[in-house]
Amino acid sequence: MKYVLFSRPKHDITMEYLYCYSKELLKLSESCGFYIIDNEKESANKKNIVDRIIKQKPSLIIFNGHGSPKTICGHKNEIIISSDENANLLSNVITYSLSCSSASKLGPEAFKQGAIAFVGYKYDFAIGKDPDSEASPRRDKIARYFLEPSNILASNLIQGKTVKYSVDKAKEKMRDSISYLSTTQDFPEAIHYAPYLYGNYAGLVIIGNSESSV
Amino acid sequence: MEDNKNKELEREIVIERLKQTPPSFKISLGLNDGKFMNRDELIEEVKNESDIGDEIINIQLSYLRAFKKGFFS
Repeated sequence: MKYVLFSRPKHDITMEYLYCYSKELLKLSESCGFYIIDNEKESANKKNIVDRIIKQKPSLIIFNGHGSPKTICGHKNEIIISSDENANLLSNVITYSLSCSSASKLGPEAFKQGAIAFVGYKYDFAIGKDPDSEASPRRDKIARYFLEPSNILASNLIQGKTVKYSVDKAKEKMRDSISYLSTTQDFPEAIHYAPYLYGNYAGLVIIGNSESSV
Repeated sequence: MEDNKNKELEREIVIERLKQTPPSFKISLGLNDGKFMNRDELIEEVKNESDIGDEIINIQLSYLRAFKKGFFS
């Protein structure tokens, strides 16, 4: 039985958006036959996640969270993985880190310490927001341009596609959306969101074996 | 000296671009307590030369460079 570990904090509005979008990834993981380790909300803490990585040895880890060049955080921004302390926990794993800038230093360090592949963002990850859909991230017509590519990436990984294929599919979707946002007259904010989605596109990188899969 | 002048010019260009953003615009970027920022908050970050402000400048200029290189064609 293969394990997939999710870290899904929900302590602020940005994390709520990531949390809502990740629900479908859990369902997909189940239908693909994975055993799911779901560290959601308060359970997305360092102790739980480190314990589960050591005991269950997941094949795939998907982190939602705030981040920095050297860290990935969990509930209330507790540092879960740090390049200075425990990047070795990602050895023999494919990791997708939906967090700001963790691919800039943590990713390379994790690979140096034995990670199969680390997929993440070198720069800050941006999410646009429709001011009219305060209560429902899934109905937010702006956020979907930023979060659907991430779900395409994670879904492909879960379905056993290679890291490169998964990232290429996500980038394809981003590229289409950047072009659309840059040219459409459908809503006045569109063109102003395009640079931030381009930032996500330019920052998304693979560190490690791009032909690997779970 | 020249570098400082260029940085100041880049900052001014980005602030002028941000001023064109509709007030309804909202974006989450960086830690910032997980809050979404509006146009005026983005401008403040750039003016204050904060880390997020520098990131905003990089994002805006990278986008313009990509546009020039034909990313959208």
